[in-house]
Order: sequence, then C-alpha cells, then structure tokens
Amino acid sequence: MNAIEVSGLEKRFGPITAIGGIDFSVRDGETFGFLGPNGAGKTTTIRILTGVARPTKGRAAIFGHDVVNETLAAKKHLGIVTEVSNIYDDLTGWQNVAFAGSLYNVPRAEIQKRGTELLEQFGLLERQHDRAKGYSKGMKRRLCIAMGLVNAPRLLFLDEPTSGLDVQSNLIIRQVIRDLNREGVTIFLTTHNIEEANLTCERVAIINHGQIAAIDTPERLKRAISSVQSVEVAFDRVIPSLQDDLTGLPGVNELRKEGDKFRLLTSDPPALLLQVMDYAHQHGLAVIRVCTLGPTLEDVFIRLTGIELPAEGKDAW
Amino acid sequence: MVETEDSCSQVICDLNAAWAIAKKDIRTYYLKPNIIVAGLLFPLFMFLAFAAGRTTVTGSLIPGLVAITILFSASTIEPVSIPIERRVGTFERLISAPVTFPAIVFGESLSGLIYSVGIALLPVVIGLLAFSTPILNPLILFVGMVLCAFCFSTMGTLVASYPTENVGEVMSILNVIRLPLVFISGVFIPLADLPGVARIITFGSPLTYGYDLISYGFHGTGYFPIFLDLAVLVGFCLLFQYTAAWLYRRFNE
Repeated sequence: MNAIEVSGLEKRFGPITAIGGIDFSVRDGETFGFLGPNGAGKTTTIRILTGVARPTKGRAAIFGHDVVNETLAAKKHLGIVTEVSNIYDDLTGWQNVAFAGSLYNVPRAEIQKRGTELLEQFGLLERQHDRAKGYSKGMKRRLCIAMGLVNAPRLLFLDEPTSGLDVQSNLIIRQVIRDLNREGVTIFLTTHNIEEANLTCERVAIINHGQIAAIDTPERLKRAISSVQSVEVAFDRVIPSLQDDLTGLPGVNELRKEGDKFRLLTSDPPALLLQVMDYAHQHGLAVIRVCTLGPTLEDVFIRLTGIELPAEGKDAW
Repeated sequence: MVETEDSCSQVICDLNAAWAIAKKDIRTYYLKPNIIVAGLLFPLFMFLAFAAGRTTVTGSLIPGLVAITILFSASTIEPVSIPIERRVGTFERLISAPVTFPAIVFGESLSGLIYSVGIALLPVVIGLLAFSTPILNPLILFVGMVLCAFCFSTMGTLVASYPTENVGEVMSILNVIRLPLVFISGVFIPLADLPGVARIITFGSPLTYGYDLISYGFHGTGYFPIFLDLAVLVGFCLLFQYTAAWLYRRFNE
C-alpha cells in the first residue's frame, strides 16, 4: 500500500486555482521531495494531505485512509513539522514534547521514554526544563521536529526542515532524516534547498502553478535535460575582460559566476574544455581547477519552473 | 462491534487531548497581563463604578459581582490565545492532530472555565469576609458558577473562531456581545423591576440564568425555577459548543 495516494486533487480559493488536478503517489518507506517555487501549491497540498484543509475536487489518501472521509484515521499515522517552528515559547522543551504526545494519545510512559530519547537525539536533553522562548532558532527547529516524531509516525511531513539553520542543527536534522528512512518511515520533504533534495530523496516532484511539472528520481530528471551540461573553471587571477571573453567563447550558452569559479553552460563540454585551455594559455592564466559537470537538480528545477534569473544574475549567480 | 470500540477509543483520545489543550492554556496564558486586566480588573472596576453612589447595601450586589466576574474572566482566555496561536502557527498543530473539532473547542473552553471559577472565588470570599454575605445553598452556587463559567468560556471560544490573527479584532466583537449582556441580565437591575419589553429581552441572555442561579446560591431564592436556570444554561453551553466546532471546521476548509 502506498503511503500517499493523490488523484485529481484540486483546490480553488474563489477564482484562484491553487492546485489544479494533480496526481502522484508516495511509496511506503520512501523519501519523497516536493519542490516548487513560492506560490506553486506546495503548502496547499501539504495542508490537504495533513487534513487541515479540504480539497475542492479529487481524492487524497494516507495509507489508504481518505483525508476527507477518514480524516482522524489518516492523521493518526502522521508526524508534521511545519515551515514555521510552531512550538509553545512559554512551555519548557519537555512540556512541548509531552503536549504533542498527548494530542496523539501516546501513553504517558511512552511519552516519557520516547520524549527523553528524542530530546537526547536532538541535543536538547540538558535544556529540557528551560522555557522554549530562551532557545536558539536551531534548537527551536530541533524541538519542533522532536514534537513531530513523538508519536512514532509512519509518515513524516517535513516542510523546510533546515532553512536558515546553523551547521550543527543542519547536521543533526540530516542524520535524523537518514535514520528515519532506514527505519522505514516515509518522509515527505519540502525544501528550497535543491541540493538537499538531491542528496536525500529517492524521488522528487516539481510543482509549478498548481501542476506537477515532473516527477521522477533526481538522476532521471537530470538525464532528461542532458543538454544543460557545463564546464567549471577557476583561474589563478582575474583579468578585466575575463567574463566577457568566456561568454563569447564558441559553444557557451550561458555563464554563471559561482564564487571564484565560472560555470559555462554548453551542450558540448569536451570541445569547450579545449577552448578554455587555449584561452588561458593565450592570456597567461593558470587554470587552478577545471571539471565538466552534468545538469544539477537545480538546473532541472529552473528549466521546468521557467524561473527567470535576474538580468545580471546569469553572470552573478 | 469494531465501530463501537473505535468510537469509544476516539472519545477517550478526545478527552485526553482536550485536557492536554486546557493544561497547555493554563500554563501559557493565565498570567498574561491582558488576561488579568480583562478577566479580573475590568469587571471589578465596572462593579465599583456601578456600586458607587448607590444606596443598596454593597453586600447584596455580591452575586452580581460574581456573575460579571465569571462573564469577563471566562470569555477572555480564548479570544486572546487563539488569534495568537493562529499567528505563531501553534493552532495549526491542534487542527492537524487526530482530534475532533468538538474536542478542541471543549479543551479550549475548559481552560476558561477553570480560570474563571478560580477568579470568581475572590468576590465570593470578599462577600463572606467583608460584607458577611451569606451563602444559603453552596452546592447551587458552585454548580451555577461552573455552568456559567463553561457557558461564557465556550462563548469566548465561539467568538475566537473568527479567522483572524489579530487579538484586537476578536476582543472588539466579543465586547459588542458581552457588554450589553451585563445590562440585560438583571445583574444591576432586578428582573422584577424591569418593564415588560426589557424583561423579555433579558430572557435571551445566558447571563440572566447564570446570575439567577448564583443568586439562588447566595440568597436561596431566584426569579426562575432552579431547573429552568440549569436547563437553559446547559442548552446555551451545548449550542455554543456545537456552533463553535462547526465554525472552526468551516473556517479551516
């Protein structure tokens, strides 16, 4: 049985169509990425799947339970971590976790055991009796995820779990996602961090304007746009005309400056590589790094969502 | 058989969740300054303003003070807490949990009830100690206070269903409802002294029956038969609970 089954799902707010008849499924135990630009319909989809909002049309089911007709049965399997860390600042870390457990009718002894384990896993055990208002942003995020896991959910919704967090919190959260996946928990991950989705998810769906633009494994999606390949190069120094010169090399479709490196998008990396080495030799530049790259998931995302880079962003990306 | 078991276990789940919600509110909101001002000081000053200059023995106004203290304190918690929780996203945590809307409404109302009964004991004690106001029927007084508190905390929860994140908006709506209630409930002017039409209007106010029941507890007599007071208050509680649950569900669609 699939963890999530969505067919013809549609949500309208008056004349505005937030999602327009989408279909997808998420397998039990899968880590599934749900990507899309702001306003694409990600949050609306999650709100319907978690039983917070009702669809205008179509059907969605969680482990076979219809989210409209069997809402409570569907909700019992879920752990939900929203984009905003929705914790109670005036309660302690422990009280927050215990409250989340009580809402899911987790027995008191189980809350005690699992709550302690989770707080330890997330590095919050020492601060468990402090009010959450004194926690850092990363600690609040970790607490929020611990609250989402206290009922040992079979399906965890993670909305932007690592957005704007410190390195320590990021590492803890990524490790937890990997551990949960190993334990067989299905994860529905929404993120703006496309590299995170690339590294974490077995499949991703890209939603745009309320429609699923693509759904597949990250590698298959990248192969679908194999024309977006590139040569990445860094020189020992920068000369004034460097960017213009590189943009003008034959075969360069687009140039993106990434830190001290230049990424030259092309459909023929080997030919361009020779051009770049020639150019460096002619101008007395030493190449300190060069490599060819296939399309990234970000390229797929940009291509499918039709996001326009700012005028100078193509160079300053 | 299975259905019965399922529905029974859901009732237990709901009751547990309702109590957890009430405890959360107690820990989070009871000591917030706006709750204390609106729930305790506001009715006290209102009462003092009304009592000043009257020839009536102040002690005889204690049932009225108890009734309006319950009205204001019980109906204040949720109109403050729910918009705040909508703003910080914690209300969505309740809605996304496997808990029914009636349980959420009940839990929210429960915290108002407990707060209000606790606060209303203050004027009861003041009446006893400062004015020697007798309590002829303590059981009826207690039942009246609890029912009245539950009725008005549910009313507060009902008004807080208005889908806004702004506390001021909800409080404005609430005050449009509860301030007139004080004047059409026999609290300051006995029902028997009201002219015909005014008296009929008071019959539509839950505070009329709550105040009557509380007066019964203090003086041993009331305007209506005691069972009518109880029945009407229970009716208002059920009506407010049902309507609130329906509105929360509706506004979250």
